[in-house]
Amino acid sequence: MPEHHHSHDHPHDHSRTVKPMVDEITDFEVLEIALRELCIEKGLFTAQEHRVFTEYAEQIGPTPAARLVAKAWLEPEFKQLALTDAVAAAKEVGVDWLDPTGFGTPSDFAAFKILEDTPTLHHVIVCALCSCYPRPILGNSPEWYRTPNYRRRIVRWPRQVLSEFGLELPDGVEVRVEDSNQKHRFMVMPMRPDGTDGWTEDQLAEIITRDCLIGVALPEPGVTSNVTPLVRPAVRPVEE
Amino acid sequence: MSGDPSEEFTVLDEIVGRGQTWPVMAAKYGVENPLPPWKTSLDGLCDVLDRTCASDDELRFGFKERRDEEDVLAATRYAELPYPENQLVALAHSLLKRGVIDQAELRRRLAGIRARLES
Repeated sequence: MPEHHHSHDHPHDHSRTVKPMVDEITDFEVLEIALRELCIEKGLFTAQEHRVFTEYAEQIGPTPAARLVAKAWLEPEFKQLALTDAVAAAKEVGVDWLDPTGFGTPSDFAAFKILEDTPTLHHVIVCALCSCYPRPILGNSPEWYRTPNYRRRIVRWPRQVLSEFGLELPDGVEVRVEDSNQKHRFMVMPMRPDGTDGWTEDQLAEIITRDCLIGVALPEPGVTSNVTPLVRPAVRPVEE
Repeated sequence: MSGDPSEEFTVLDEIVGRGQTWPVMAAKYGVENPLPPWKTSLDGLCDVLDRTCASDDELRFGFKERRDEEDVLAATRYAELPYPENQLVALAHSLLKRGVIDQAELRRRLAGIRARLES
């Protein structure tokens, strides 16, 4: 089985909707990555801890998408609807995909599909050519989603890029990179984590952060998008 | 003091000298976004350092020290840079000054990352 599946075989008409981007790697972008990587290697923090703080800096609160996944975890019938008719499921959590409130642009009026993770399959979304994103239900895309760094590399080296977000997947898990396009938007439905038995929909929605729905993180009890995370003290020198 | 603006790190001076700041790049490509895409990652970097280094007495790099040094450096040595480029370079300066990273390894890493991103 290939390392990942990458489908970008669509007639791409991004010129109609895409805004211009700086398609050049600057010294400052490289410097930010260099400082971060060196600090991680020296034990000051982990990639995951950095990712959580970055998400916090960008957070837009629990999204309707988080509510949708929490409901699907609790109600098998709704989960089936989410996987077969995501537009209808979105409507049940207050998002009319055909009339998104405030977030949408004409490019969002597209088919919407939810990708279910399993114990042996992990999904992550990208728009390799520009920045297509399921905005009606997830809000605006994060800054990094729009960088050439992410867009170019996730399709070729998904495990490496995911590890830069602090997400290390076991070898037995296939990584499938789903490429958005003019007509299709995607969102990931992660697996419900252990330690959440008996949780309410509200509790579950709290841990389904934006990054989990993109596929660069997994939901985890105690890690939410609206609480400043506590991290361990820096370890110097780094422990072997 | 650790924010001594007379301290020289040529690796940073070279980056400043090339002048790829966001206002310049955004104008070149017709981009309207007022801040560079790496800004929130830098926010995360500063926040996580403030948190993890707070209890490291030897390092002396808590939130207050970092911000004080940033203010000094942004007003002096890196005064020609806009925000957040000045915040980023000041952070690099503070980490180099403390010996958390050294110039040679930073140079190697910059080259390696650029090669990776351009691959």
